[in-house]
Order: sequence, then C-alpha cells, then structure tokens
Amino acid sequence: MTRPFYGLTIVLAAILLLLLGWWNLFAWSVIPIQAQDVWLSLTHFDSQSISHRIVQDLRLPRLLTAMFVGACLATAGTIMQGLTRNPLAAPSVLGINAGAALGMALVSTLPILYGALSTSLAAMIGGGVAWLLVMLLGNSWRIGGNEHGRLVLAGVAISALCAALTKAVVIMEEDQAAGVLTWLTGSLADARWQTWQHYWPFALAGLFGALLLTPSLNLLQLGEEHARNLGANLLRSKLFGSFLVLLLVGTTISAVGSIGFIGLIVPHMARLLVGQDFRIFLPVAMLLGATLVTLADTLSRAISYPMETPAGAILALIGAPFFIYLVRKRTL
Amino acid sequence: MSLSAHKLSVGYHGQTIVKEMDLTLPDGKFIALLGPNGCGKSTLLKCFARILPAMSGEAHWQGKNLHHYPSKQLSKELALLPQTQPIPEGIKVKDLVAYGRSPYTGFWGKLSQQDHQIVEQMMQQTGTFELKEKLVSELSGGQRQRVWLAMVLAQDTPYLLLDEPTTYMDINHQVELMHQLQMLNQQGKTIITVLHDINQAARYCDHLVVMKSGELKYQGSPEEVLTSAMLQDVFSLQAQIHRDPVSNTPMCVVED
Repeated sequence: MTRPFYGLTIVLAAILLLLLGWWNLFAWSVIPIQAQDVWLSLTHFDSQSISHRIVQDLRLPRLLTAMFVGACLATAGTIMQGLTRNPLAAPSVLGINAGAALGMALVSTLPILYGALSTSLAAMIGGGVAWLLVMLLGNSWRIGGNEHGRLVLAGVAISALCAALTKAVVIMEEDQAAGVLTWLTGSLADARWQTWQHYWPFALAGLFGALLLTPSLNLLQLGEEHARNLGANLLRSKLFGSFLVLLLVGTTISAVGSIGFIGLIVPHMARLLVGQDFRIFLPVAMLLGATLVTLADTLSRAISYPMETPAGAILALIGAPFFIYLVRKRTL
Repeated sequence: MSLSAHKLSVGYHGQTIVKEMDLTLPDGKFIALLGPNGCGKSTLLKCFARILPAMSGEAHWQGKNLHHYPSKQLSKELALLPQTQPIPEGIKVKDLVAYGRSPYTGFWGKLSQQDHQIVEQMMQQTGTFELKEKLVSELSGGQRQRVWLAMVLAQDTPYLLLDEPTTYMDINHQVELMHQLQMLNQQGKTIITVLHDINQAARYCDHLVVMKSGELKYQGSPEEVLTSAMLQDVFSLQAQIHRDPVSNTPMCVVED
C-alpha cells in the first residue's frame, strides 16, 4: 500500500460519505424536500418552513447518528477480528448484539429493574456477559486455544439463548413489546437530537481508543507467542479491546437497536482496499461503515415508501449472503 | 547476561513437565537442548520465553526473576522462534520481518531509517530478500520458516531461543540454517536451540544440554556429553561413537 494511494482512498471514501449524507437529508421524504432546502436550512434557517424543520429536527440528527453507528460497528468488528484472529468475528456473530438486546429488554420490561440502570449500561452489561460466555465456550482466552469454528458455534449458541430469553421477556410484558421489537431489528427512524447527544461522546471516545489499540492488533495477528515475544502485553490489549467493543456496541444498540453485519462485512472490505495493517485499514473501515449505514438508512425510506423498513433489515439482506460467502471461502 | 533455572518446575493443565530443574546456560555458546520426545525441552524453552509461567521455582535473566522483568526490555534481549508459526493472511514478507523491530519503535510502530536497514540486512542474511514482496501465505514451509527467522533476527537480541527450527526444512536448508546460526554465534549471539538430530547438534553446537523426563541429565561439550553411556541412559539406545570424517566431531551410529 503506497502512501498516495492510501490518501486517495481516504479522500474518496470521505467524499462518497458526504455526498450520500447530503442525499440522505432530502431523499424519499413523505413531505417533499428540495435539495436546495437542505442547504438553506443549514445556512438560512427559517422556522416557518416545514421542510427546513424536518431537515433540522429529524434528518440531521438521524444522519449523524447513522454515520456514527456505522463507524462504531465497523470498528467493533475490526477489534473483534483482531483479538480473536477469526475472520468471522463480529458483534452480531459472537453474541454481543443478542446479549445487549437481552440486557435492554430486561431493564425496560421488568418492574424490579426498571430505572435501576440506564439502557446503555444494561446493553453493555448484557453484551459483556454474552461475550465472556462465548470466549469461555470458544476456548479463546487460553494461549494456543483458538479454534475458529468452535468460537463461531459458541457465538451462535449464546445468540440463540439470548434471543429466546429476550422473546420470553417480551411475551411476559406485552405492554412494552412493541418498543422492544423495534430496536431488535435496529432502526434509525427514531434517532433525534436527544439520541445523538447521549451517543456521540461515548462513540467518539470508543473510536479514538480503537485507533490507539491498532499497533497491538497488528502484533496479535502474528499469533500470541510471537506477539508476546515482541513485547506486547496481551492481557492488557485483550481487556482494553473487549472494553472498547462493549462500549461501542452497547451505546450503539441503546441508541438505535441491534444492527447486524456491519461489523462483519466492513473490516473485510477495508482490508481488500488497503491491506492488512490495522493502523491503516481501521480509519478506512470507519468511513466505509458510516457510508454503508447512511446508504441503508436512505434505502430504508425508499423500499416501501412511504412506509419505513428498518435499516437493520436492509443490512441483513446484504450481510447474510456475504457471511455465507466468507464461510465458503475460508477453511474453518 | 545469563539465563538460568533455579528449582524451576513448568507444566500445563496442572501436570508438571519440567521438574525442579537447576540449570545455568553458558554465555556466548551455541547450545543444543536434546532429549527424547516429551522430556520437557520445548516446555523449558517456552518458560524461558515467558510463554509459560513457572509453577514453582524461578527462571532468572541477568540475576533477576525473568517473569518480573519488564516485557519491552526483555524483547530487546531475548527472542524466541516457536516450533510452529501461524500463517497470517495478506501480510507481505517485508512487513512481517519489519514487525521484528517493534520492541524498538515508538508507540505507533513507525520504522526509522536504521530499522529499515536492519530489516533489509536480515532478509539478505536469511536468503529471503528476493521474496520480500510476496505474501507469507504463498511461501513453502521452508521459505516461511526462514522468513520468521528473519523477523526474530530483526529483534536484534543477544540471546536467541529456537524450538526445533529445522523441522520443516529439506536437508540443504537445514545445513544452511545451522551454518547461519553458527555464524551468528561467532558474531556474539548466544543461541539455544531444541534439536532432534543428535549428530547435527554435535557437529554444529559447542554445548549440549540433555534432558530426560523433565530433569537435567548431562551438560557439556559434545566430546563430554555424546557417549554410548549417555545414549543408553537417556534414549535406551545401543550406539557406537565414531568421528565425523569431515568435522572430526563425535557422532553416533546406532547398533542393531
């Protein structure tokens, strides 16, 4: 990967993201918004104009959240693939999404827990417990004990368990069921400025922390024996990496619900573009993740216009075939 | 600088493999660790490289407990080439060898001019320079082993531990490697390697350490150690000791 080509990739990805973002602000609106209204609402805001208000109050926070969701999930997937040296690792594959959803379902439906924890904290704890169980069952903490297939199977099993428990909780507390079901598929439709305010500081901290972890992830791909031999502190990297994953995924899920496959697909796309060096491909993965979720959110208004399809469902449509492709390509 | 074990026990899953071993390895030598399968030679090496902890007793490096030594510092002084290497996907030879410089680079891992020079020099020395633009995953087993050796050499440590480095190599590459190690030793590196071929060890190394069932049995020059009595005792093998017609070092010939 030569330097000028890398710079060009970053600039092109950023331009693509901005163009898609701009399109997202006005496309497929039930109340028609002109493209120039977007610009005017930002420069000469007119509170009397409905289209200006839609852009400012609904579209803009939704777009910003979508971009951060994409970057966070792509980053979480990258960290997980690096820590486990498993190409199939991703928050949705290894049980974190399902665990976080269960955590949120528990605090928002059970009267005893209601209000005791914030939803993002509940999502982080739920995701953390699921991740821990998957790593233990998948034999992934021990040196040398890293069997790719076993880890993914553990992820599938724990995901299924968490999903079943979540459904049981939802059935028992029918009043809350509709809300829970919305964020189980993951949708950006309800993202407002309030969502954004609670989300971005944690997301930004997580993204920055992930950049600091990239040199260690590079050493880890040489195997644990070599990484240790080169002076890497494996325990510290694993704990810090796991914390970052939980922070990124927990806050994302509590903001927009469980969106899958970004964490699985995007790191592979970024690697294909710019190579294996984590320091180089993580920023590309962040941009691509943001682009893909922005695109999915725009399409979520288009597919069954004027109704909305959850963005999570659209990403699953792209992601599931890709997952099958990866499984077939690699010998697990 | 010296590496030693003091009543050191090492093992896995609660099973003791190396048993209360006392051993001081001499500086500046080319040392072979010998012994039957399962005698604990690899386990001992892994403990010296801090892949495994001590169950009891201590391993010492420069008179200090090795397992409490600062890891960054140790990675500039002691390097290990493990028995099996992972096959990382999508990494070029030159980038892999460059990772050997990570103990010396700053946090972000940026290489200096000097680092680049050392990386190139080590690729030349191991005959992998021509492969530098290739992916590690595309290489043959023997080539790959030499690339990993180049990476470990780029660590530029006075001590080098190798766990059966010749395993995946043809005989010509084995000989080449032993010559390289001999040369590195003459340049001042202390080399400690696990070997299976006793005659190879006696020919190229100048200090042999023989283990059996987790215990140190014999230690000394090939002349002192390679005897019929030792082979009978450690390997239960009837063998005669002759002179290698080329190097005049002792060599064993197995009797029926």
